[in-house]
Amino acid sequence: MNQKIDLLKKELAKAVIGQDAMIEGLLIGLLCDGHILVEGVPGLAKTTTINALSQALGLDSKRIQFTPDLLPSDIIGAQIYNPQDHSFSIKKGPLFTHLLLADEINRAPAKVQSALLEVMQERQVTIAEETFKLENPFLVMATQNPIEQEGVYALPEAQLDRFMMKLVVKHNTEEEELEIMRHVANKSFTEVKPVIDIQELHTLQEEVTKVHIDVELEKYIVQLISATRDLEKFGMEDVKHCLMFGASPRASIDLYKAAKAKAFLEGKTFVSPSDIGYVIHNVLRHRIVLSYEARAKGMRSDEIITKIVETLAIP
Amino acid sequence: MKRSLGKVLFLCFHIFWLQAGDFDYNIQVNKPQPYMKEGTLVTINLKQTNHDIVLLFDFDLLKSANYTFQRVDIQEVDAYHAAEISYTYLVYPLKVGKLDVGFSLTQKATTDESVAYSFSGDRDNVKGLVTTNTHIDLSPLALDVKPIPLETKLVGDFSLDYQVKKHEGEAFEPLPMQIRIKGKGYPPILETLYPKEGNFTQFTETPFVQSISTTQGTVNTVTYAMALSAEKIFTLPPLVIKAFNPLTEKSYELLVPKQTFNVHPADSSKLLDKVDNPAPFLLDWSWLETFLAYLVVFVAGYLSALSWKWQKKTKRAAEPLKEKIQSASTHKQLLQILLSQDKKYFTRSIQKLESTLYANENIPLKQIKKEALENIQ
Repeated sequence: MNQKIDLLKKELAKAVIGQDAMIEGLLIGLLCDGHILVEGVPGLAKTTTINALSQALGLDSKRIQFTPDLLPSDIIGAQIYNPQDHSFSIKKGPLFTHLLLADEINRAPAKVQSALLEVMQERQVTIAEETFKLENPFLVMATQNPIEQEGVYALPEAQLDRFMMKLVVKHNTEEEELEIMRHVANKSFTEVKPVIDIQELHTLQEEVTKVHIDVELEKYIVQLISATRDLEKFGMEDVKHCLMFGASPRASIDLYKAAKAKAFLEGKTFVSPSDIGYVIHNVLRHRIVLSYEARAKGMRSDEIITKIVETLAIP
Repeated sequence: MKRSLGKVLFLCFHIFWLQAGDFDYNIQVNKPQPYMKEGTLVTINLKQTNHDIVLLFDFDLLKSANYTFQRVDIQEVDAYHAAEISYTYLVYPLKVGKLDVGFSLTQKATTDESVAYSFSGDRDNVKGLVTTNTHIDLSPLALDVKPIPLETKLVGDFSLDYQVKKHEGEAFEPLPMQIRIKGKGYPPILETLYPKEGNFTQFTETPFVQSISTTQGTVNTVTYAMALSAEKIFTLPPLVIKAFNPLTEKSYELLVPKQTFNVHPADSSKLLDKVDNPAPFLLDWSWLETFLAYLVVFVAGYLSALSWKWQKKTKRAAEPLKEKIQSASTHKQLLQILLSQDKKYFTRSIQKLESTLYANENIPLKQIKKEALENIQ
């Protein structure tokens, strides 16, 4: 099965140069039925990656550009009245897809965000008393501009928790950018072909769940999450005032699943501490809330996560 | 001096009328033999004799260096074609011996029509009075002027008072003094009161003269204001002004006694400035000092801000991590440190550490540390 993953990565590499972390994050989300929040400046191949992934997997993909005047019915769908036969018909919204790129999610008002996040959690949509189950896989890759920008509606912590991971996408290296430039100029990007079908993807998801994780590592995961709630208890008195509140139980679940998926992507049948270490920042950075004092000092949640990993002994 | 000039018996030099053209005249003098600078009243009486015309007179004494005069009275009878005029002068002879007082007289004859016409015009049509002028030569009045005693400076009946505001002062401080001569007679105006020599400086101003001449003589008040200044104590010598009263024919003296002024000599140490004033010209470089001070403070502030930034940056970034890596004593500790960093470049080191910890490989900790440290650089 790991060959399939390698094949998928190779196929994605035809369209996306660099951005390994984002691709890996998307694959983890896909394998674990999670959703991914991506933060970064525009132009970092987010849409290209989603499109490439959908093509490589033979899945549907749609993109919604979130704007301040967007309505919930614009994304969910609505009941349409037909005056000819005096009947109502359901028009499904762009949510009915496998891979959804929700671009600049923090530009839409809270009610639209709320509608999307509800669907992400329940994986079903109700339109005019009729409920529609969404197909599996259903992955939302939401992007958001940095919070400091004006004209944005910051996502509430409870809704951020619905995202399995938050990826911080950075610019490509100079070598990568040079390659991108040449490819775009020469139009030499080759077409991405489907290499995995839905059935195979489901199989891969099953495989991930079978990845072994030691009890000690399970406890380690729980300890890591607990530490975010009570830093003092784990001997981190110096930063105890930096956190307002820690991660939810959903974080433990997602870290557990993500660590397994990471191990799977690495071709392992068991989870090692490094797999947890690789994904813990992505899983926790949007789930812990810094205190005002810490934000005033310019601290970031990643620093707290680093401190926790440094402090808690690896099994 | 109590008898006034007017009370003196009026002597007539010419008591009879003389004929001159269309009028008669006579000249009267109260004192044909006055003393020098003694006031003498001279009266000229003119009386029209030709009653057919309108007669006007233009009369005055001739000016001369030998005497001074002032008209003190005019008496006029304005009868129709019968004019009568008396001119009275107070004459002060300035020369001893024979002295002639000359006259200037012009007869102006005109008609009633001419007078009427000259007043008939409106203000834009004023006509000059047309007259027929005739100069009349009058014989001068001869006075025999008697001399006054030698060194006499004032002639008349005068008194003197003086005022010295203070007799004590600082060196070169002006000490005001005032002398006033009052009385009837020739105006008591003196060029100098005190001699210029002496160990003091005298500041004077033009005397303030008030003189009123009448037929009774000239009443005078002359005020001399001055200020004295000296470096040290000095004495103002007594002032003696010799005067002569022609009415009593006696000399007398006006006196300002000796005045001593106590002047405190100046302390030369106080007079001399201990500090040069204005200050000697020197280039002022204090601005440069201030500027450099500000520059030093600015640079120091800037550098300290930078150093703080560098310190913060280095503390936050490489150095603490290096220290942590170097201080790791076990493979597990090092793994823990590297995992916490979430850095892709530690992947290889992490794999090696896991191989050692969980796959029984034996890779020296030192080697992995070195590799990790190299990755940081």
